[in-house]
Amino acid sequence: MDDRLRETLSAMMDDEADELSVRRLLSHENQADVCAQWQRWQGVHDLMHRGHSPAEVIDVSAAVREELDGRARSQAPEVSGYRELRRPWQWPAAVAMVATALLVGFGAGTGWDSGAASPADAMASNSVTAKPVNEKLDKVAPVQEVALHGLDEKQWEHMSRYLLEHAQHNSVGAGQGSVGYARLVSASGGY
Amino acid sequence: MNHQKLVSAGKLATKPELTGISSMAPDNEKKQADQPDSQTDLQLVRKVRNGDRAAFDLLVVKYQSRVASIISRYVYDSQEVMDLTQEAFIKAYRAIDRFRGDSAFYTWLYRIAVNTAKNHLESRSRRPQGSADSAEAENFDGGRRLRDVASPERLLQRDQLQKELSNAIANLPEELRSAFLLREYDGLSYEDIARILECPIGTVRSRIFRARDAVDKHLGPLLNHSVT
Repeated sequence: MDDRLRETLSAMMDDEADELSVRRLLSHENQADVCAQWQRWQGVHDLMHRGHSPAEVIDVSAAVREELDGRARSQAPEVSGYRELRRPWQWPAAVAMVATALLVGFGAGTGWDSGAASPADAMASNSVTAKPVNEKLDKVAPVQEVALHGLDEKQWEHMSRYLLEHAQHNSVGAGQGSVGYARLVSASGGY
Repeated sequence: MNHQKLVSAGKLATKPELTGISSMAPDNEKKQADQPDSQTDLQLVRKVRNGDRAAFDLLVVKYQSRVASIISRYVYDSQEVMDLTQEAFIKAYRAIDRFRGDSAFYTWLYRIAVNTAKNHLESRSRRPQGSADSAEAENFDGGRRLRDVASPERLLQRDQLQKELSNAIANLPEELRSAFLLREYDGLSYEDIARILECPIGTVRSRIFRARDAVDKHLGPLLNHSVT
């Protein structure tokens, strides 16, 4: 811990630290150092103002930390879970949305006919025909799964382009607009 | 200046009137170093709410001796005091979203500690042996009971520490000592100290830090004994 951070900690003892400095201090990688320094200064403070020597001060900080760590591992924390829970939720959701987008958008783009042939067969065929939008949506609706093997070069290029655009769109909207984009692609019948 | 001479004498004057410094800052309302309405506490509470556990560690370290002292007014067994102190902090952590900031964090924590101790006694079908009103929180000298049960060795160690502390402060360079004592014993803000010492606030901050650091180093290993 460098002197600048220690000076911030000292200012915190006196209620004189600004928000940004406190944030910087709390993001320091070695919080054990920060806590140890804080504890020593609090010890001096207690000695000066209350006559406690550090030997007389009960220290439960490690026990509290362990208890809360144990709880955090065994159950979702009531307070601190918000930030941590958001990110893990986003990845599966994003994957699911990409899969949905592939299912709907790519199927519509390649003109699957789920009633007549399997999706793999449809993807293997090169027939990209322009059909009325409503008719296409009706036909792709019952598609259960997508097999991505057996694509020819043109279809791979088509899909790569789609994924790239999807990723760009998703990065702007933080995942919230990807379904809408998939619908747009399917409605337009391809690129 | 007169106040500087008084401060630099190195005496641990615990009353502002002995230094004559508080009268130099009449608008300071005699802010005490221990005042519970703490900006740092609010900053740390905000961090805890955002999931920062390290911030809660700092709050625990800051208040654990006071919380233990509150609980020791109800429960006299030292192991029980430790367990209940720990329990009070865990309750506080879990309930921190309900702290609205209407009162000082310490007052809120005080209530949790009192309730934890009372609930403990009720669960053992005992009547509370002590009493504490939350209105007392801000003036409560938490250390009295713990001090009363100190062993002779502890008393000796405390005396030794007090002497070393006096020496450490007396050995500080005058500019550091002045700033440090104005802060610690007179509870003045950095702004007021800067006005009195006629230097920038950043200098005050730096001097107080260096003084604190020097005292810490002087006391050194004596501070590393704590009951766990």
